Amino acid sequence: MKTKILLAALATALTATAHAQVKVEDAIKWRQSAYATMGWSMARIDSNLKGTYNKEEVLKAATVLQAIANSGMGSLYLPGSDKGKGWVDTRVKPAFFTEGAKVGKIAGEFNQAANDLAKAAATGDAAAVKTAFGAVGGTCKSCHDDYRAK
Amino acid sequence: MSETRKILIWDLPTRLFHWLLVLAIVALVVTGKAGGSWMEWHGRLGLLVLGLLVFRLLWGVMGSTYARFAGFFPTPAKVAAYLRGQWHAPGHNPLGACSVLALLAVPLFQALTGLVANDDIAFVGPLYDLVGRDLSNLATRWHLLAVNVLLALVALHVAAILFYAHIKKDNLVKPMVLGWKDSAHGESARGGGWIAFVVALALAVLAVYGASGAWLPEPPPPAAVETPAW
Ligand code: HEC
Ligand code: HEM
Repeated sequence: MKTKILLAALATALTATAHAQVKVEDAIKWRQSAYATMGWSMARIDSNLKGTYNKEEVLKAATVLQAIANSGMGSLYLPGSDKGKGWVDTRVKPAFFTEGAKVGKIAGEFNQAANDLAKAAATGDAAAVKTAFGAVGGTCKSCHDDYRAK
Repeated sequence: MSETRKILIWDLPTRLFHWLLVLAIVALVVTGKAGGSWMEWHGRLGLLVLGLLVFRLLWGVMGSTYARFAGFFPTPAKVAAYLRGQWHAPGHNPLGACSVLALLAVPLFQALTGLVANDDIAFVGPLYDLVGRDLSNLATRWHLLAVNVLLALVALHVAAILFYAHIKKDNLVKPMVLGWKDSAHGESARGGGWIAFVVALALAVLAVYGASGAWLPEPPPPAAVETPAW
């Protein structure tokens, strides 16, 4: 029992230091890179929906979106990272850090939409992918509208 | 009070332009706010607005009397005279003319910035390829900010019409629908015949074609570029 508590305490301490070790600049770079990668995946699916549909390619792109959506990107929003420069100056709005519940709700909807898209992509049904893709795009936008500076 | 009679103020093309612009702008605000797959329609409607505006700018030169910019272009002297109550003529009054010009300029600005805008999700304007990412982001920023200016102008426009209807007892909507107005001053609009209409319309269609990017070279088909198979 004691060892368990000790281990738990150690683990907590380690995670805490692990967090502290992420530099604000890196956190901003990583989140910007993750979003840019999602941009790539969205563009890929879009061009498949508009041109000839390739199930494999759409599935690859949808898997990337799903993975990033479920990667716990929230941990890249370190306190103090409302200002600073990653690849470019951050565009996150200060409200992102004060409206935790609302941001969490949007992030949850985004995760759900990305999971649904991955499911649809696995079936290869282009019409279902189109609907799910639109829903994902809607959640990207709702976060940008409120929490990303213009 | 002198005799009033029916005179033609707004010719049919001006009226059609006006109401199509109203519908298109409402739809643009709705589709723009909705985003996602609606952006497809947002882009198409934006091109429609561009066409309408090009038509209206030409009609302001080739159209009938009261549609012409030269006739209603507001100067400070005219606005001052109007505010002193010394202005009586059919058509846009000098203050209203400022609102009209702004309501043409801001949507034009929206359409032009929209052509190269991007939503960072899955939609780019048809001429996006002509500018770099940075310029596109800048255009997008202005596109989004100018929406607020547009909404404010529309609100002012509607408020002014309500003011005229209820306080000054002057119904401005009816002439914009029917074209006619009972007026003690002025003559019926003249000019703006079929030829002018066809020319203005043809040039507007040409502008939409140019803005649609349909003339841009096709990107190479996927098979033409070799990339590693992984
Ligand atoms: C929970 C909120 C949220 C969601 C959901 C979201 N974004 Fe973002 N996005 C942001 C924020 C905040 C930034 C600005 C990040 C920064 O500069 O620090 C951003 C930035 C971006 C950028 C610019 C990255 C760069 O190069 O700086 C792109 C592209 C982007 N997002 C695309 C997307 C796409 C595509 C989706 C949906 C698949 C999406 N985003 C979902 C909040 C979100
Ligand atoms: C007069 C014409 C236009 C009007 C009134 C208009 C209006 C709007 C509105 C209200 C929004 C949403 C803004 C917000 O969320 O706050 C928007 C976004 C957008 N519009 Fe337009 N628009 C016009 C023309 C165009 C055109 C021609 C294009 C391109 C073909 C275009 C591309 C875009 C893009 C890409 C966005 C999304 C930007 C983002 O969310 O990051 N617009 N527009």
